[in-house]
Amino acid sequence: MAEVLIADDSEFMRNLLREILEEDHDIIDEVENGVEAVEVFKEQQPDLVMMDIVMPIRDGIEATDEIKNEFPNSNVIMCTSVGQEEKMKEAVKAGADGYITKPFQKPSVIEAIKDVVPS
Amino acid sequence: MKIDVQSLDTFNKLAHEGAEEATRSMTQMTGIEATVEVTKISLVDREDLGEEFGRETEFVGVQFGFEGALTGKTVLIFERERSSEIVEALVPGGNADESMAQSSVEEIGNIMMSGFIDGWAEYLGTTIDHSPPTYIERTGKDILPGSPDTNERDQVFVFSSEIQWEGENVSFYIYMVPEYEPLTKLMSEHRDEEADAIPVEKLAAFNQMTREGTQRAAENVEMMSGIETEAEVSQISFAPIEDVPKQFGEETYVGTAVEFTGIPSGFLLVLFDEQSAITVAEGLMPMEMESSELTDKHKAAIEELGNIMTSGFVDGWANVLQRSVEHTPPRLVHDMGQAILDPLAAQLGQHQRHAFMIDSKMKTEDLEFESKIHALPNEQELRETLDDLDLDRADQTEANVDQLF
Repeated sequence: MAEVLIADDSEFMRNLLREILEEDHDIIDEVENGVEAVEVFKEQQPDLVMMDIVMPIRDGIEATDEIKNEFPNSNVIMCTSVGQEEKMKEAVKAGADGYITKPFQKPSVIEAIKDVVPS
Repeated sequence: MKIDVQSLDTFNKLAHEGAEEATRSMTQMTGIEATVEVTKISLVDREDLGEEFGRETEFVGVQFGFEGALTGKTVLIFERERSSEIVEALVPGGNADESMAQSSVEEIGNIMMSGFIDGWAEYLGTTIDHSPPTYIERTGKDILPGSPDTNERDQVFVFSSEIQWEGENVSFYIYMVPEYEPLTKLMSEHRDEEADAIPVEKLAAFNQMTREGTQRAAENVEMMSGIETEAEVSQISFAPIEDVPKQFGEETYVGTAVEFTGIPSGFLLVLFDEQSAITVAEGLMPMEMESSELTDKHKAAIEELGNIMTSGFVDGWANVLQRSVEHTPPRLVHDMGQAILDPLAAQLGQHQRHAFMIDSKMKTEDLEFESKIHALPNEQELRETLDDLDLDRADQTEANVDQLF
C-alpha cells in the first residue's frame, strides 16, 4: 500500500482526493501549502506526493523542485486546476512525474498513480 | 483597422452624453427625475445580443433606424410591467386609452432619441437621419433589433446606457447597434496616431478565446457537480473605471476573487447568486446537506470550484500566448456586487482611467443556477497582450499534457 501525502490548500479537494485514494493507499498526511509539503516530506518520505500548484505561502512547483533536488527518487504528481502548457513545462523542469488537471474523475487519478508508482 | 483607448473613450462619451440629453428631454416633458447610471461599449457575439434581458421579461419601447456617417438601429425600452407608471407620468390618465398610451411612448421615444442621435451627428460634423419611431413589444432579448450588418460578422459592437428613475425601481435602457464596418472605420479615423492602438480583429479574436474559456469553465462545473451547464454570453466591454462597480448593483453574490499576474495582470471574479451557490455546492458534495442556507462546507466547495473555473477561463489565454498566467489562491467573496467590485476597481484605478471588462455567463435550462465570470485586466497590459496575439494561434487554447509527461 503506497504512502501518499496530499498537498492542497482546498479542504474540499483534500477530502475528495482522500476519498478516491484511501481504499488502496495510506494517506500519511494532508498539508495546505508548499512549505508544509516539503517539511512533511522530509520527515516521512512518503512514496508519492499529490501536489497542487496554486497554494499560498509557497506554490507546488517550488516545493516539488526542492523535494526533487534533495530526494531525486521521490514521486510527485501535480494535481492542479492549471492547464497551461508553460506551467506544465515548469512542472517538468521541477521534476514532476505526472500531471492531472482538475476536475478529475477517479479512474484518471488511479491511472496517473499507476504510471508513477507501479504496484 | 486599429482603434485606440482614446477613440473608444470618445465614442463611449458620445453615447453617455446622448443618453444624458435624452434623459433631460424626458425630465422636461414628464417631470421624471432620472440619471444615466452606466454607459458602455461592448463587443459581443451576435447571438448573445440582449442576453442580459433574460428570456421571460416583457419589454415595450420604440425602435429607430438611423443612417448617414453611422448606420444602424437604436431602441429605447423599459419593462412592460412598469409602462403604466411611465405612461401616467407622461399623460395623466393615459393608461385608460391603449392607443393613447402607445402614442405617448412613441412620442417621448422620438424626442429622447433625437437628442441621443443629434450629439453623434454634431461630433462627427455631419448629419445622421433617423426613421420615424416604431412602437415595439417583445420578450427578453428579442426586444433588441439585432445587428443590421449585411456582412454577417460573428460579433457586433453595442452601445448601452441604463437610465435610473430616481426614487423608483424603474430603469430605461438605450441600446444602439451600429453596423460594424462604418463604426470601426470612424473609430479608426478618430484615433490618436501617437497612441497605442488595438487591432480591432484581435479584440474580436480575444473575445472568441474568452468564449472558449467560458465553455471550458462550464464543462468543469458540469464534470464536478453533474449539473448540465452551458456557456451563454461572452463579451468585452469598455467603460470608465468608476462605472465598473455600478454594473454589479446591489444583488448579493457568493464566489471567488483572484489576482492574476503576468501579461496581462488584473483580477478575475467567479460569482454566483446565493441560490445558485447553494445549488452548485450541493452538486459538488457527496452527501446531502441539511441546511438550505450557505454553510462553511458550501463555501469551501464554492472556493474550489471558483479556483477550477478560473483556471479553465485563463488557461486558454496562456496557451495561445505561449506564456504563463499566474493567479493567487482564490479568496471567497460574499457581498453585494458593487461592494465586491469597489476595492478592485479602486486598485486598478490608481493606474488607469478606463477598464476593459471581460464578462461571461453560464446557466442551466432546468435548475435555478447561473454563474458569471468577470475579468478586469490592467488596460495597458491587455493592449500589449492583444498586440502580441498571433491570430494564427488563436484556436490553440488547449495544452497537451500527454506530450510533456
